[in-house]
Amino acid sequence: MAQPTPAPASTPQVQRAARLFAFFSGAVLLTALVSMIFADLLWRSGWTGTSTVLLSLFIILFFLTAVGCVHAIHGFILRRLGDPQRLTCAADYQTTSIAGVSSAIVFPIYNEEVSRVFEGLRATYLSLEQTGELERFDFFILSDSTNPEKWVEEEQRWCELIRELDALGRIFYHRRASNEGKKSGNIRNFLNAWGRRYRYFIVLDADSIMRGETLVNLVRLMETHPQTGLIQTLPALVNAESLFGRIQQFANRLYAPIFITGLNFWAQGFANYWGHNAIIRTEPFMQYCDLPSLPGRKPFGGHILSHDFVEAALLLKENWQVWFAYDLEGSYEEMPQDIIGNAQRDRRWCQGNLQHALVLFARGLRGLSRIHLVMGIFGYLASPLWAIFLLAFNWALWDRENTGLSTITVRAFTPWLKQLSGTAHAFLLFLLCMMVLFLPKALALVDLALDRKRSAAFGGLRRAIQSALAETLFSALHAPLQMLWHSQFVITILGGIGVNWGSQKRTSDGIGWITALRQHWAHTLTGIVWGAAVWKMDQPTFWWFTPVMTGMLAAVPLSVLTSRASLGAWTRSLGLFLTPEETSPPAELDTLRLRMALLEKTTETAPHTSDTSLAQAVLDPYVNAIHVSLLREKQLNPEFRETLEKMGVGRTEVRELAERLLADGPQALSPREKMLVLSDATVMPWLHRQAWIRPGETLNGWWQTAIRRFAR
Amino acid sequence: MDLSLESALNLPHTDTEPGLLAGRPLEDWNAAYRKVESYFHALRIRNKLLLGRLVSHVLKRAMHRAPREPQRHATELAAQEMDAVVTEWFAQILEESPTNRDQMLSTRGRLALLLADMPGKWQDQFLRPGPWPEAFVKAMRDAYLRAGPDFQLSKMVPRPLDLGPITTLNNLTRLPFLKMLTVWLLLALLLSALFVLTHYRSAP
Repeated sequence: MAQPTPAPASTPQVQRAARLFAFFSGAVLLTALVSMIFADLLWRSGWTGTSTVLLSLFIILFFLTAVGCVHAIHGFILRRLGDPQRLTCAADYQTTSIAGVSSAIVFPIYNEEVSRVFEGLRATYLSLEQTGELERFDFFILSDSTNPEKWVEEEQRWCELIRELDALGRIFYHRRASNEGKKSGNIRNFLNAWGRRYRYFIVLDADSIMRGETLVNLVRLMETHPQTGLIQTLPALVNAESLFGRIQQFANRLYAPIFITGLNFWAQGFANYWGHNAIIRTEPFMQYCDLPSLPGRKPFGGHILSHDFVEAALLLKENWQVWFAYDLEGSYEEMPQDIIGNAQRDRRWCQGNLQHALVLFARGLRGLSRIHLVMGIFGYLASPLWAIFLLAFNWALWDRENTGLSTITVRAFTPWLKQLSGTAHAFLLFLLCMMVLFLPKALALVDLALDRKRSAAFGGLRRAIQSALAETLFSALHAPLQMLWHSQFVITILGGIGVNWGSQKRTSDGIGWITALRQHWAHTLTGIVWGAAVWKMDQPTFWWFTPVMTGMLAAVPLSVLTSRASLGAWTRSLGLFLTPEETSPPAELDTLRLRMALLEKTTETAPHTSDTSLAQAVLDPYVNAIHVSLLREKQLNPEFRETLEKMGVGRTEVRELAERLLADGPQALSPREKMLVLSDATVMPWLHRQAWIRPGETLNGWWQTAIRRFAR
Repeated sequence: MDLSLESALNLPHTDTEPGLLAGRPLEDWNAAYRKVESYFHALRIRNKLLLGRLVSHVLKRAMHRAPREPQRHATELAAQEMDAVVTEWFAQILEESPTNRDQMLSTRGRLALLLADMPGKWQDQFLRPGPWPEAFVKAMRDAYLRAGPDFQLSKMVPRPLDLGPITTLNNLTRLPFLKMLTVWLLLALLLSALFVLTHYRSAP
């Protein structure tokens, strides 16, 4: 049984407790101070039931904001003074040999943009090759794709890649017959088949890229810290082209370092896992992290969707450490390119995080794991709370207007506020809130100003300040939409409406006006109705609500315009939202960009139509041979064979389907039937032969057209 | 000088009727040519001279068969011969029996052509009778697509997670009519809250 060895470099328990106490006390004190001022303000204008609701919500919401602010303060101080308690500082890991250590790099994918996945892998592979440590690593593409087109294309790209890189036996491709358990099930399937071959495995996302040196350093860190079960890197957002993407990318690169440094201050060896760009010690993971199904019905019961937090919690429960290696450069990922895509991703994450409410009280979990889980839950629950807070405020306003009584403010309860008028008191509260909200951004800019080299990487301090101001303006407009969306997600999820694990749109095509209108009409309508109601109730208050209303009213143009790559390029030409990866692209990102540009040109000349990949899998002698060979090899795994049998592969029904495919074309078969035919290692070569040797008149016209494409 | 196609393809002069070749209209052979050529194109035979030679070789065999099988279309005959020619050649170079029923040989052969980079390096060797260059034979016979390393099978087993008091709460969701009861309860709470908020105001 895997047991962590004693932890020489870990933070002593007392010191850790002191850090935790100091950190959260700061947030509590800040919340207590500002909440007192708010309570006093409510007191001045007459305490009502609504005041109790408002104060309760204010305390929760302000505490969450204060936690963010305290992260930034600690992060800023540590970045300036140096953080001795970080993983990379704890030992001289860079001289550690990794000879004899085998690691797997896994890419779990699901109906993704195939070329992007494989080019990302190529960039990572080439970068690793340059370190001279390539032979210590094996790459695995773990496909869960359910789209037959994607499946065939993945196999084709994989074969091309291994031939081009001469990486047969180094880069592997595995597609599951059934995507049971989704991403965590995919990883479990990999570990069950090959996990025991590797001491570590590094999980990358479909859009992840990692520098070779970073991969090697992660293994070295694991070797140096035998008590560590998982190390999570801080992936930098890269390759954004749309305006929205570039703003998010800039915010991530500018603000994330101080936040993560603050997070590491209290988390230490009790950090978290974000699902990718992390290295995991295989043995304890296999032993402790196979997730059980949760009792009860959806949305809380069943398969654990956001498995990463829980896996980290289970490792910590068994005395393994989990660290953030936040200062390791060369870990990248991409992001949705528009507001709608971002919301779609949030919808999935929201259900996963809310589901953590079930795990929160599980016996034996570490207290810090519970903090990570709570923070994840409130990441989404905060939105409906904000909405209720604003509505309660409006209610109080309406109630006052309805009574017809004028508001008579009394003197403040707190002695040092007594000399302030009601308006000045409210303004003081407003200033404090704004300070807590914007201090992290200001500290990030000061941190940048004090680092000339980093400042230059952001296009200079002046441009960075201008970009931060523009980003703040955009965030102010985007926040009300997030509030409405997240509130809707929370309500629908709690109402038992499940989430579809759809793939994300990650290119910067831009979204059309009609699409935006379809997605945002309710937001716009909410803005109009809400704004009109506040205007009618109290016009001075209306002006305080304009930032919220503007975001809602401008939802459609905001969504469309920020999705435009042309605007992204324009802001770039102005020197706005620049990031270090844009001003000085690392080699691995350059490789990816060049390859993608090349592929884009090729794709333009050979358009991909519906069922193109199916035609290739049947007609193309090489694609068919690759496909059939992979099917035959996978059947050596009894688990895979069993799944295929359950699906009905090998039955005479499949041959009948294949006959129908030839006679009536692919339109005659449902996607499930196509998958069945494609999964049959006997029928596929038979189909290849029949499609080529049968007389044209016995085949559907679709096949003849497909065959004619080869006669170029 | 004899410029007839029969002479060029070394075929017996069986057709005396004009417009026929091996008993089939010229247009039929044209269609057969296109089909065979398409298949070789699919195998990435790009050299026009080689392509023409290979197609002619297949069509010649089809034309020899044609008089004996008048019920078959020229394209069908050509496609069958193309399949036979390719499979026989795979059997020779891979040293396997040509009579395997489940298409194993054909699949293996096509995969070997790809992995040995026949389209890039060895186009001139394709369908040529042996002996072949040693490097080509080795590349063809060693070709094997490894989708994964050798299995080291194990079985991860989920450990039960004691969810504590939440389990009891979550089990409540199994109660019948729970959603309806919850909606009614929420409605009652909302009405109570409205009543309290609109009827009670305490002075500071």
